[in-house]
Amino acid sequence: MKKIFSLTGAVAFNSFMESVRNRFFTLFAVFAFAAIYASVLAGVMAVDQEARVLTDFGLALMELVALAYALFSASSVLLREAETKTIYLVFSRPVPRSAYLAGKLAGSLMTSALMLAVMGLMHLLLLKFRGFGVPPGYAWALSGSLLKLAVITSFAFFVSLFSTSAVSTLVISGVFWTAGHFVTETRFLAESSGGAVAAALKAAIWIIPNLQLFNARDAAGASCALGPAAFFSAAAWVAGSYLAAVWLISGKEF
Amino acid sequence: MTRLALPAAALLAWSAGAVVSYGYYHSPFPPPSEIRTPAAGAAGDMFALAFGARRLFADVWFIRLMQYYGTPELQEGETESSEEAHERINSAGRYPDFLARARHVLEIDPGFVMAALYGTGSLAFNMGRPAEAQELLEYALKYSPREWKYLNVLAAIGYSKAEDPAAVAGAITPILKDPDCPVMLKQQAAFLNKKIGNYAAAAAIYADIASTSRDMAYVRNAERELQKFSKVLPAGQRRD
Amino acid sequence: MSQHAVSFSAVEKTYRRPRLLGAVYFTGVKDLSFEIPAGEVTGLLGLNGAGKTTIMKLIGGLLFPTAGKVKVFGQSPQGGAAKARVGFLPELPYFPPQVKPGDALSYYGRLSGLSGADLDAAVESAMQRTGLEPHAGKRVSEFSKGMLQRLGLAQALLHSPDLLVLDEPVSGLDPLAIHDIRGLLAGLNADGRTIFLSSHSISEVEKLCARVLIMVRGRLARTVKRAEWEAAPGGLEAIFVEAVR
Repeated sequence: MKKIFSLTGAVAFNSFMESVRNRFFTLFAVFAFAAIYASVLAGVMAVDQEARVLTDFGLALMELVALAYALFSASSVLLREAETKTIYLVFSRPVPRSAYLAGKLAGSLMTSALMLAVMGLMHLLLLKFRGFGVPPGYAWALSGSLLKLAVITSFAFFVSLFSTSAVSTLVISGVFWTAGHFVTETRFLAESSGGAVAAALKAAIWIIPNLQLFNARDAAGASCALGPAAFFSAAAWVAGSYLAAVWLISGKEF
Repeated sequence: MTRLALPAAALLAWSAGAVVSYGYYHSPFPPPSEIRTPAAGAAGDMFALAFGARRLFADVWFIRLMQYYGTPELQEGETESSEEAHERINSAGRYPDFLARARHVLEIDPGFVMAALYGTGSLAFNMGRPAEAQELLEYALKYSPREWKYLNVLAAIGYSKAEDPAAVAGAITPILKDPDCPVMLKQQAAFLNKKIGNYAAAAAIYADIASTSRDMAYVRNAERELQKFSKVLPAGQRRD
Repeated sequence: MSQHAVSFSAVEKTYRRPRLLGAVYFTGVKDLSFEIPAGEVTGLLGLNGAGKTTIMKLIGGLLFPTAGKVKVFGQSPQGGAAKARVGFLPELPYFPPQVKPGDALSYYGRLSGLSGADLDAAVESAMQRTGLEPHAGKRVSEFSKGMLQRLGLAQALLHSPDLLVLDEPVSGLDPLAIHDIRGLLAGLNADGRTIFLSSHSISEVEKLCARVLIMVRGRLARTVKRAEWEAAPGGLEAIFVEAVR
């Protein structure tokens, strides 16, 4: 068991360092530029609502920037490693495929966590510069974004193992992401319709993870605290995607 | 058998996530049937829902509402009476879509208390449309039934109908120090206090507007009022 | 312990290529049986598409046989025990351009189960054996093809494997690099390691190997021992040309 953890850790750290070497932090500049631009606009247009607009814009942008990087990375990493034959050097060693996959997922989540932390710090500095304090529930909002990213990244890894290209993985995961925010609306529609439509909608509710559960940044103040159910569901969905991915990769040839 | 164990475990884990989520999560948001999207804003609402960015898009709708209502600044050197300024800033009697637009902000983010107070305050006290203000407030209360500020404004609307400005000012006063209180409501409270001769209270509110608001139209008006009060009020009651 | 490092017994590998409707199948290797004796250098010759890389990947546990059995030191090549004894070098190995050779080797060393002082010693030894030590401070992006191949060999040597499986180890290298790598492989074989290499270069195989397998269209056409090609007029090349025609 210790050996498996050690191998997983090695893959995770290497994956994280590769992201750092790939200069993902250039995205921080994009974030900083967009946030400052929004700040100027909000100052002019939102007047007394500047703090709220800046907070909401910053949190949404942070999540989208981290999502874009996580999805691009998760959808292409296995394909790229197979194309460059890097995976041969890994799987010709006594590395269980489950440990490799866990390491890749952990590395991706470490990258997402770092991105959110750095962008969060930049965002708070901008708010401070504009004369505002830390918005209520800020840490919960970032935690919720990280849980969402964990669910969608593990799902993207799973999809990348059967999809024919990185683009199709991106599209499928992107659709899943948006559908995940529509689950409450889908639930309402399922309850207000009948027959085959209701059955199809109910099935969709079970298949699509409810990302609104983690959407603390859309809730206000104290009500945004994430409950144990959010953490449990995130862990269960990540585990579900991971186990399905392990199943696929264990039969995969390179 | 081993080949089946992994997909079975995956399904089990996924279902566990769905079961807990289904049991635990109760949406604080209005159902889609309640969202009356203006045609020009359908794409924005789609993004709001699809990216879980209701607050951000509610902000956008609120900015649009403020732009629709408008708060033009005074030209340099232009002078007007405080009643004229109050009427001008609040532009009573027009804006037929105001209720629909204000309600739409709450349809997207029912927790946007400041937008609800701004909408109801504008409708009730500036435009003289208390029925519409009440309708908006009832919608806001449906999703935030414990919001005391809404109840105070509801009471203020009642007093307003009874033409009791002192009671209206009294009902609004507790809201004024709340961070969700829109500057428009502060301005209303100051105006009413001045109207009933409570100059010290009015001056205190104008001083608060001048020091906290970033809306220059309100700030300049407050500064003008404070200048006037400095001539009327004894030194101890001045806030400037 | 098995006296054969590798044994193939009636092995068949069929690839499946999915199409819009159904799939097409083509054979990589068929009815393949051979052994690689432990401690020997065995070469694998064949034209493009003859099945050389398929054999290498089957030994590395990267492909699963459609039929038959592959054994590495008497065990399944997919198992950890067999993999721990194999060092694998694919054709044209890739390393991230920003890393230094020591970092890349440390990563693969960890994946081979090494850690701490053992890992440091293994990295140092592999760099030394492959002549990478003078280039330790450079990044992979600054490496020539020959140096990349040395780095590929170094990662295969890290865990002191008993069997080295090398797919085209001298492909595209200049004569000096080929000479160096040949010397390195001869030294490793002298240490008692089994080496199985594929190549397009008959002269290289001729110089290094004790036995050669010649593959033709997925089947083993001939197994030739050094004594045979040394006795034959025209050497190994003539035997190869005759086998593939």
